Amino acid sequence: SRQVAPRSSHKQIMPSYKLSYFPGRGMTEVSRQMLHLSGTLFEDNRLEMDEWAKVKESAPFGQLPLLHVDGKPLPQSFAIARYLAKLFGFAGATPFEAAWVDALADQMKDYLGEIKQYLLVAYGFAEGDKEQLQKEVVDPAIHKFFTILETRAKENGSNGHFVGNSLTWIDLVVSDHIEILEGLIPNAVDAFPLVKEVQRKTTSCPKLKEWLDKRPVTTW
Amino acid sequence: SIMPSYKLTYFDGRARAEVARQILYLADIPFEDVRISLHDWPSLKSTTPFGQMPLLEVDGQSLPQSFAIFRYLAKQFGFSGDSPFESAWVDALADQHADYFREILPVLLTIWGFTQGDRMALVKEVATPARDKYFPLLEKIAKDNGLNGHFVGDSLTWVDLLIAEHVGSINQHLPGFLSAYPSVIKTVNKITSTPRLKEWIEKRKETTF
Repeated sequence: SRQVAPRSSHKQIMPSYKLSYFPGRGMTEVSRQMLHLSGTLFEDNRLEMDEWAKVKESAPFGQLPLLHVDGKPLPQSFAIARYLAKLFGFAGATPFEAAWVDALADQMKDYLGEIKQYLLVAYGFAEGDKEQLQKEVVDPAIHKFFTILETRAKENGSNGHFVGNSLTWIDLVVSDHIEILEGLIPNAVDAFPLVKEVQRKTTSCPKLKEWLDKRPVTTW
Repeated sequence: SIMPSYKLTYFDGRARAEVARQILYLADIPFEDVRISLHDWPSLKSTTPFGQMPLLEVDGQSLPQSFAIFRYLAKQFGFSGDSPFESAWVDALADQHADYFREILPVLLTIWGFTQGDRMALVKEVATPARDKYFPLLEKIAKDNGLNGHFVGDSLTWVDLLIAEHVGSINQHLPGFLSAYPSVIKTVNKITSTPRLKEWIEKRKETTF
């Protein structure tokens, strides 16, 4: 594991944060991004499979990611993301806005479930016909989900955000996913200009660019 | 201050809407409990943000996705845990439950009569492994939380309602299926004996799902 920055031992006002996941982005990247955007020091703990096997039994749900806050574990990627988003101001300006961010995130989870098999095949973790899966499963799934996102971006005033007037964790999750998706299927979301505008605006934020430039390069 | 108006729209069943109804009833908040028949749904579908139900309308503003609805109402009315970290644990357990529910859903859809299938084979080959993966975890969680009648913290949260509703549905159609998990059953029984919830359960319309 890598300590991202040293912690000063005489100034323990902030809790300590350790975020553990595999060496990839998945649905954990959004949390890394929010920790970075908020200027919060955290341990970006990336485990290889053999390291994970040693500690798996001690994880509350036997899964990654895990956030440790002052040593107390919290599992489940979106529970982690939402917790950090609330803490750092990326969860919308009102409870109703926060609920809409949640709704889009859960819709995204449904979409990710639909394309899961394709991703496993594309990354070589499973056997299958990549082209067939793309045509029969992924293209319709992209169409369904990204139409929802495009409509949402428009209803939100085409302001470069999916919800409200400032960056939320759904902007971050979708933006990173588009980059991963288009690494597999070039121009996959060209038909959704307002969604692409959210990605453009999100990734042009200087503090996020800082992270994007220095983070380990991974395909997923 | 004037209360917002609440309208909840779903099929005529419990499944993905019941927790919202329960939160509103527990909080003594009047709401419009709209139930759509399978026949009427197709024409309504495109009027909803995600083409899905349940849908909550708060002063006419729509909110889709069941967990977003539950979490929003729980937060408004005090069923989301006693600290931000506790709320996050409620969310985490709910998402873990959703992962299990996604696995067992094909079996439930057959039991509820929405799909064709070999019920016995599905219970043996799909429901049983899904249960065996998830319920030992839930059993441990109930015990580690002190068998205090809650799965997280020491006050009623929406994940208590979520799990209790599911266990009730399982008991309705597969009695004995969860008999290996006494701490879960004990916790669920304590949850459903919360006076106002007991009242709702006793007077609500009986449905297959």
